[in-house]
Amino acid sequence: MIAAAPNGILHLGSPEKPRPLDAVLVAEDDPVFRHVLEYWLKKWDYRVTSVENGLDAWNILQKADSPQMAILDWMMPAMDGVELCRQLRRHEGQRYHFVLLVTSKDDKQDVVVGLSAGADDYLTKPFNVDELRARIRTGERILHLQDALIRVHEALRFEAAHDPLTGLWNRGAILELLEREVQLHQRTGSALGLMMVDLDHFKQVNDTQGHMVGDVVLRESAHRMAASVRNYDWVGRYGGEEFLIVVPGCDADALLASAERLRACIADPPVETTAGPVAMTLSIGIVSAMPPSPSAPNLEKLLYAADLALYKAKANGRNRVEMAGISRAVGQH
Amino acid sequence: MADRPTEWKGLENAPLRARLTGADPIPVPKAEPSPRALRAPSWSRAEVLDRLGGDEELLQELCQIFLKESPRLMEKLRQGMASGDAEAVQRAAHSLKGEVSYLAAKGASQAARRLEDMGRERDLSAVSEAIRLMERELDGLRRAIEDDADRTRR
Repeated sequence: MIAAAPNGILHLGSPEKPRPLDAVLVAEDDPVFRHVLEYWLKKWDYRVTSVENGLDAWNILQKADSPQMAILDWMMPAMDGVELCRQLRRHEGQRYHFVLLVTSKDDKQDVVVGLSAGADDYLTKPFNVDELRARIRTGERILHLQDALIRVHEALRFEAAHDPLTGLWNRGAILELLEREVQLHQRTGSALGLMMVDLDHFKQVNDTQGHMVGDVVLRESAHRMAASVRNYDWVGRYGGEEFLIVVPGCDADALLASAERLRACIADPPVETTAGPVAMTLSIGIVSAMPPSPSAPNLEKLLYAADLALYKAKANGRNRVEMAGISRAVGQH
Repeated sequence: MADRPTEWKGLENAPLRARLTGADPIPVPKAEPSPRALRAPSWSRAEVLDRLGGDEELLQELCQIFLKESPRLMEKLRQGMASGDAEAVQRAAHSLKGEVSYLAAKGASQAARRLEDMGRERDLSAVSEAIRLMERELDGLRRAIEDDADRTRR
């Protein structure tokens, strides 16, 4: 499954912004202990958010940019620390929260209940400052490990779905995205457009200028294409110099205009390379599936129609747009 | 000579005022040592300071918060008793217990623990006596803390 993401050129290597690991949530109804915790945490340069009951803590922890470390008092109004812990673990996605539960010295049986509810560690009142510091460090270490794990996981997921040369969606990913949009079209009757795009005479660039120049041309063309389409269109590298662009919610006229913009943005200016400027053009075959259609097309039919239109654009002289089913050429040579 | 009647007048009225406000009319003789001096110290300042890594500033701040907060918790205890709300007694006693244990106040901790147990067991039959004891312990502790704050200020 591919996660929704901006479909222009994606930033290889930095798929996620850094997480705030220096933020701590303190949920404690007692002013004395709240002050103790705030005092030390601030002294140790943590950013502290503090609340006085479990419900406020729960609301904060559900936010996407919530602190990843939470120090929760066991006994609190509205929702106690243990219940909060349970809720948190039940709803926790990829973002892990380190939970330090604070309990009283003579409620030892609480510790088992607390850890079973999902607390990572506990602290008994009255705690001293060194113990607090040590527990916080433990939490920080675990959060950093967790963070590294998530980064690697996300990098792998990114690589699995993207073309390393251009940063566009790769063939598998763009076909999966197309399939998803086709299903949406079949279910809701929403308009769907598809462009099959080919760089004209690309083989000649590779043959005469070398593959390094060919790569520069591919990368620059991909950049321009991604910048030319709307934010919610999907751009993928289909094969060598072939690209697929999935254009949801767009009628035939708008699709044609978009394809024409695409053609124009490659045709001029030429691509700057180490071997000098290289003039490139695009041939584009487009197909528009509009409601009401007697039978909604499936993925294969759409691909086949776009391919045929591309073939027609090539046959009619390249650097042009052809629409499947309608004999209409746009652009000049 | 002219001053004498005024002096006598004040003394005559003293027991009456005491009766009206419900306070103990019997004056404590000055010669006897105060009960406070005979008892164990209300808190261990050294233990608290150690807990706080020797941070005097934090100690003073916590004491000030405690002086402000503890009457509120006592009020909650009394309200819990008045309305027969054992859970409210348990909660307030729990908070008090946490604070006074943090201040290494043994007597007060024990008194708070007793109240918390009563609340947890939903048995408020002896709660008014336990609250009186708690008040006495807290008074001693508050005086000790205030004295300490005065000393530190000097």
